Amino acid sequence: MNALLIFMITTPVIGWLAHKRRYRKIRDLYAISGLSVTAYFLFELYVDVSAKGPLSSCYLPFEACLQIDMFGVFMAIVYVMIGLLAAVYSVRYMERDTGLAEYYTLLLGMIAGMMGVVFAGDFFTLFVFWELMSLTSYALVAFRKKRWAPIEAGFKYLIMSAAGGATILLAMSFLYGMTGTLNFANLGATLGSVVPNEWLYVTLTLVIVGFGVKAAIVPFHTWLPDAHPEAPAPISALLSGALVQTGAYALIRVLLVVFGSVQNAWQMTLMVFAILTMFIGNLMALLQDDIKRLLAFSTIAQMGYILFGFSIASPQGLTGSLFHIMNHAIIKGLLFLCAGAFVHQVGTRDLKKLEGIRRKMPLTSILLAIGAIAIAAIPPLNGFWSEWLIVLAGVEAGMLLFSALMIINVLLSVAYYLRLIYVIVLKEPTPISEKATEAPRSMLIPIVVLAALCIIIGLYPGPFIALAEAAAKAALSL
Amino acid sequence: MIPLSYYLACSIALYTIGMYCLAIKRNMIRLVLGIEILINAAHLNFIAFSAHLNQGYIDPLGSSIVIMSIVFAGCVTAVALTIVTYAYKHYGTLDVRKLRRLKG
Amino acid sequence: MKKKRIAGIVAIISIALTFSMLSVSQEFPIFSSTETPEIETPEFLWTYRLIDMIAQAFVMFAAAACCVTVLRVEKKE
Repeated sequence: MNALLIFMITTPVIGWLAHKRRYRKIRDLYAISGLSVTAYFLFELYVDVSAKGPLSSCYLPFEACLQIDMFGVFMAIVYVMIGLLAAVYSVRYMERDTGLAEYYTLLLGMIAGMMGVVFAGDFFTLFVFWELMSLTSYALVAFRKKRWAPIEAGFKYLIMSAAGGATILLAMSFLYGMTGTLNFANLGATLGSVVPNEWLYVTLTLVIVGFGVKAAIVPFHTWLPDAHPEAPAPISALLSGALVQTGAYALIRVLLVVFGSVQNAWQMTLMVFAILTMFIGNLMALLQDDIKRLLAFSTIAQMGYILFGFSIASPQGLTGSLFHIMNHAIIKGLLFLCAGAFVHQVGTRDLKKLEGIRRKMPLTSILLAIGAIAIAAIPPLNGFWSEWLIVLAGVEAGMLLFSALMIINVLLSVAYYLRLIYVIVLKEPTPISEKATEAPRSMLIPIVVLAALCIIIGLYPGPFIALAEAAAKAALSL
Repeated sequence: MIPLSYYLACSIALYTIGMYCLAIKRNMIRLVLGIEILINAAHLNFIAFSAHLNQGYIDPLGSSIVIMSIVFAGCVTAVALTIVTYAYKHYGTLDVRKLRRLKG
Repeated sequence: MKKKRIAGIVAIISIALTFSMLSVSQEFPIFSSTETPEIETPEFLWTYRLIDMIAQAFVMFAAAACCVTVLRVEKKE
């Protein structure tokens, strides 16, 4: 992760140098190589952690530090993978924009912030990297500032997300007041055995509200349907696939470690919120005409599934949730990158104008169809396995009513995904979609990689489920 | 020494005022100030707790956290104000209720 | 407008006072869960301020990059 931070700083220097020599591709390739180096270090880290157990890269007195266990490595693998593919995609997608040196800086900074959040062993380290991640994402959403829409979306997103961050800070201050430390291990040890009093419940509320703004829990989700369509497509893929998952990760980590003593309280609350999130996400998605807005609402619904799996509070539920985090990142990345390919070639996001684009962009449409089938939980692909695991865990834990509600939601979501496939693939082309040509090859490569991953995980989910299980065990054992 | 509960009451009152500001005010710059108020409520809390740990001694962890967090609040305000600048260029007004073109 | 504004101010003062009174009434369990508060971390951080400052520098650099991105000039070509 240190490599990522170093690259983040040196990218604009290289970008300025490259501009002087009129060879712009150097800075893109530099950013991509930075991400690849990080991926290599991450793989080494994974081997280390799975062999030796959780690492704390601490000098002994300095415990405000990073603590890297399997849960963190699991999330970091997802982020770096999606980040690398989004960076490769944005080489061609962003070619008509200016300010690309800063774009890559902010992109690397956002991924660095996300990795810092999942590797944090201390609440304050988490907050530092949370702020880094949030700041870079504000500017990335408002990247195309010449149009009014990204600015409006960026402003709404900034206000809500900064308010969430301030709420997290207030919760941190109460925890500090109760125990005198902010280290996760110490917090868990001291607060695990205390009798719950009213201030603990207040802190719990503040934590759920604060992290819930980022994780798109329903009363606080209103920034998401505006921000995700207006961001450039690779940033949308990263926002949907990684940023909201980071909110879910932080919620899971803090609730499991710090609030173990009030488990019954947050379990039922989260379950109610999760069901509400699922319903509102799916119902609003049925009404949308804009392809990226539809995908944004479906992100809200999928986060509902993930939170539902987590709130069952059993190892199987948590495994299902984590596996679904990985699957959702891959599939949503795939869907947003395909939608971006359509926007890049045709220039519109309206579903009515994009009908029948399969005639002219066959490969992209088929990949979009694969992604939509995967996320609608149709058997051979990976979405089915993770949602099945969550429902199974719910039934085993005895929550039959809620599991039934989740199955109803999955069926609702199949409706609009099938409508998406029908519109893109099976209808007659409109005059606008007649003018499309196939997406350029370097944009197609990441999409093909993601689709291949969908199919591989779908046909052979064993090792990935084992990875998610190891991550769940690490999360529960701290 | 002023009892701790007065500091807590003050910081919770600040938090409420910040939330009211975010919910009710129409001027975009006032919204940004509301966020600053929210963050400062948490800062007051940190300092109050670090002073009441032992009498006559201040726990440095609270102070170092607050120093860093003031910097982050400043960064957020900077980015927010640049976005407000462009919002003014596009919409011609600082009224946040006019930013309603994205619907649904 | 005047009436609304006065009503708003009265409402917010009453809400803020209510919450503050509620918070004063419940005793805050300050540092109740630890017998001896931990001292090494804060002492280390306060002695070596450079570590803090490097973290601040990264976030400030990111904020500066954000402002440059939003304020960039798009030349008409």
